[in-house]
Amino acid sequence: MEKRSLFLSLMAILFLTTPAYAYLDPGTGSILLQALIGGIAASVTVVSMYYQRIKAFFAGQSASKESNEK
Amino acid sequence: MSAVRRNAGSYRDPAGHVYESGGRIFRTINERARSDYEAVRDQGILGSAVQKGLLIDSSEVERAQWDEGFARAAYVVEHPRVEFVSYPYEWPFRALKAAALHHLDLQLYLLTRKAALSDSTAYNVQFSGPKPIFIDLLSVRPYREGEFWLGHRQFCEQFLNPLLLQSKLGISFNTWYRGNLEGIPTADLARALPLSSRFSWNMLSQVILQAKLQAKATDAPAQAIQEAKKSRTLSRAAYEGMLRQLRNWIARLEPGNTGATVWGNYAKDNTYTGAEAQEKRRFIAEFAAKTRPKVLIDIGCNTGDYSVAALEGGASYVVGFDFDQRALDLAFSRSETESLKFLPLWLDASNPSPDQGWMQAERAGFGERAKVDALVALAFEHHLAIAKNVPLPQVVDWLVDRAPVGVIEFVPKDDPTVKTMLALREDIFDDYSIETFTNRLTERARIVQQKVVSESGRTLFFYERTQ
Repeated sequence: MEKRSLFLSLMAILFLTTPAYAYLDPGTGSILLQALIGGIAASVTVVSMYYQRIKAFFAGQSASKESNEK
Repeated sequence: MSAVRRNAGSYRDPAGHVYESGGRIFRTINERARSDYEAVRDQGILGSAVQKGLLIDSSEVERAQWDEGFARAAYVVEHPRVEFVSYPYEWPFRALKAAALHHLDLQLYLLTRKAALSDSTAYNVQFSGPKPIFIDLLSVRPYREGEFWLGHRQFCEQFLNPLLLQSKLGISFNTWYRGNLEGIPTADLARALPLSSRFSWNMLSQVILQAKLQAKATDAPAQAIQEAKKSRTLSRAAYEGMLRQLRNWIARLEPGNTGATVWGNYAKDNTYTGAEAQEKRRFIAEFAAKTRPKVLIDIGCNTGDYSVAALEGGASYVVGFDFDQRALDLAFSRSETESLKFLPLWLDASNPSPDQGWMQAERAGFGERAKVDALVALAFEHHLAIAKNVPLPQVVDWLVDRAPVGVIEFVPKDDPTVKTMLALREDIFDDYSIETFTNRLTERARIVQQKVVSESGRTLFFYERTQ
């Protein structure tokens, strides 16, 4: 009898662990993801901001050059 | 104020609810939401978001004018009415994309003002023509230093994933979205993506990695929650970075190959000559000028030729319906380009949006919403009566039920289009004739005007409903 219940509970763990909590889902995966990639997202934004500034700087230089030439 | 009716879709957020009374839209703001509302209102955040066209307007209603049902609220505001309520599963790709970008723009703006959105449901976006507008001011609250983007998962499921499904896999999202209501689950999308998508950082991080982490969290929730709690906070730069990356990515998405378009090149086809189309446009414009409808629906709108004719004639707002995705995307971009009061939506007329969601009332069906001032249904009736075997009198009834006045085109059996439809199947449509059509129409309506517009005998009927 005991053996049987042990077997049953083992089977329950094996087969039920994955779907058992599917309905809980507090969006934990999304939070873990943000913790992982948030830093990258921040640095990409900073780098692209500087890149835009540099681009704007040179664009501005050539624009003023052009207007001087005219 | 009398007979206030709480919107059946407005139950999730205890911060307040939406009510309808005598055609006006009210929103209660409950005590629990008072401080957040006062904070964003008093800092002028709500006002400036309204001015920028990001958030729907609202004006506080004096307590003396409140309905007695509102007694426990802290505030009551009134919103202008949206011309026609639509749901994400009815939007063509371009509309969902516009809504997604709008949502992100609102969030980015709010962050600059130290405010954030408490959720990311796509149902909080509505359209006025092709312009998206955010309708839920109760989602706006002060930003808390270091907080995570709590609506991120919802944003992915309700905006990003359906767009990716269409863009990367060429599968339109509408039926799946309609079935699930909350969008496309990340895990499902991750399973469908080809291996090559792992080479895209956005795809890898937003879909594949998120699905993996979600699976991990589902397997061992206690541990995952512990880990999430332990994890460092999200800086504002990172929050903003995520919003910006998603915005850049989504802005580049285009609808994927949707296969041969059924009606996309319809206008260019030789189904009828240019002069006939001209004739039809004139008829519709005159009809709109006579009836001056506030809201007109154009069923089978294709790329919107007759919707535009109705607007030019005097209709204030047109909602177009079609089931061809490419035609809808063309129609939507046409509306955007020409700044029209025209919203094209996806509809399978043989299976329109049902009443669904919680209590089967959360999202109203097509039948309840599509009761408008005027109807236009050109080159449409045979797609139900022949292609879907719907008895012709039922097609007439269904169309006439939509609006008290309208124009319906009858397409006879001799027409090339119907001939094509019957080319490979038995003609079981003994009752399909203009007589059957007019008999049923005159039982329900008075025929104001009737005009043959093609050599094959296509006929326009301007009707006025009598019962």
